[in-house]
Amino acid sequence: MESNSGDPGPLETMATLNTVEEVARGVFRHRYVAPAIADGAEPGQFVQIEVSHLAFPVTRRPFTVSRVMEEEGAFEIVFEVVGRGTAILASSIPGRSLSVMGPLGRGYRTAEGSWALIGGGMGAAGFPFLSERVDVRLAILGARSTEQLLPCEAGELLIATEDGSRGRCGLVTDLVFEACLDRYDHLALCGPLPMMHAVVEFLTEDVLERTQVSAESRMACGWGVCEGCVIPCVDGYRKCCTDGPVFPASDIDWAGWMELCG
Amino acid sequence: MRLREPTAADLRPELLGTAFRSPILLASGTAGFGLELLRMDHLDGVGGLVSKATTLKPREGNPPPRIAETRFGLLNAIGLANPGVDSVLSDILPRLSGLPCPLLVNVAGSTEQEYGLVVERLEESDLPLGYEINVSCPNVAEGGMLFGADPAAVERISRRVADRTRKPFSVKLTPNEGSIVESAAAAEEGGADAVTVCNTFLGMSIDWREAKPQLSNLTGGYTSPTLLPLVVARVYSVSGSVQIPVIASGGVGRAEDVLELLSAGARLVEVGTLLLRSPDDVCRLTKEMEGLLE
Repeated sequence: MESNSGDPGPLETMATLNTVEEVARGVFRHRYVAPAIADGAEPGQFVQIEVSHLAFPVTRRPFTVSRVMEEEGAFEIVFEVVGRGTAILASSIPGRSLSVMGPLGRGYRTAEGSWALIGGGMGAAGFPFLSERVDVRLAILGARSTEQLLPCEAGELLIATEDGSRGRCGLVTDLVFEACLDRYDHLALCGPLPMMHAVVEFLTEDVLERTQVSAESRMACGWGVCEGCVIPCVDGYRKCCTDGPVFPASDIDWAGWMELCG
Repeated sequence: MRLREPTAADLRPELLGTAFRSPILLASGTAGFGLELLRMDHLDGVGGLVSKATTLKPREGNPPPRIAETRFGLLNAIGLANPGVDSVLSDILPRLSGLPCPLLVNVAGSTEQEYGLVVERLEESDLPLGYEINVSCPNVAEGGMLFGADPAAVERISRRVADRTRKPFSVKLTPNEGSIVESAAAAEEGGADAVTVCNTFLGMSIDWREAKPQLSNLTGGYTSPTLLPLVVARVYSVSGSVQIPVIASGGVGRAEDVLELLSAGARLVEVGTLLLRSPDDVCRLTKEMEGLLE
């Protein structure tokens, strides 16, 4: 039951927020100066931010590392305001110092070869970092509207928006169903659970074996002790925070996960 | 009035046959078995660690979602997920030899017999200082707080444990049902060396828009700094009615809270939810208390 991840890295660091950008309504990009995190992070890993040092909220909030700027000793996160914790964080102004734990979790296995990335909404937040480390030939991204689309470097970019403001009018899955995914050596998938489930259902077994999924779960600690964030996997529950958040897609019990959390 | 003014000596308590370097214990379920904190070297200023609950057989725990944050606290329904006593003995305890503080293994069971069987097995290891007997988990269908609410069951379980070990043990009581004072007296009668006051408070949270519970288990254990006065009241009444030491658990968010619980009669104080958020803050508590007592 204990964590089987390697060195957890520096535990808690004070990070200085130096850039705040509202990239779309309710969607924020924050850049934090925290050299220990910028130096150590790998694509797919996350940080736990203490959004307030007051008594509430009682837990931190997890965010995927979106990019690192090693020369500045900085990292970025992109997040949407979905509740009280993210609202407090969004109201922060540059210069604020926050306690950050990280980098945490197991990121993508960044193997050689060609990659295709599939992201829905904020699920694409970690792709800029990944695309700096691997050869991304194709990215399929979906969002509600063009302003919610997150940037991603890729040889070919396919886009779907629910309101038709950019690319295909529809869902990211519509594009996935038409794409020829078996030509890529590796797939990365991240987004809302129903979307990921639909994509996984569509993939052939062979492609599924080459797919990595960045999972999301309600988290309390983020460093492996509380067992709160488990994801149903084929061999039982596994912790999103230290066994993941990136899992081989074939390790996940998709039907079980959908039933409980879909 | 039995209230005490905590002194520097209370920050180095001697009980359960041990001189603790701090009254702070890490509460069961919030520190795993200590491996993560040991690897992070984050046990400075901690008096001891209470492990994740250990049962006879491995337990997968409850289905997710297992946690839900509420406005002023946290609900959890982990369901005693643990690898079982065999694995704890063979895989985990041998890796804890470098632990810089004493370990109490938290023991749970779905039958009264199971508590004795688990302790009997754990006696094979020299590492634990002793045990915390969990008769109060709110998140399991069998056993758990049903035992803790029944003083007769608490006494029988305590006796079972006392018959199987010479190590000290504390019985962790429930605030949810029955009389915690009567259950504490029953634990003392059964041979317990301390009582832990108390386990989490039964709570529930609902997404009313969808009429859906936030936890798959429907209910969970509630933890929050807002619970401090409820825990202080229970520590005060229990410490006035038993001779054995009281270990407080619940509601601690800062150093002053620990001192308040010591004033109410606790000898050791467990910290849980705060640890999940900030091991650094927990490590600083003892130093902060020293400052407050100067």
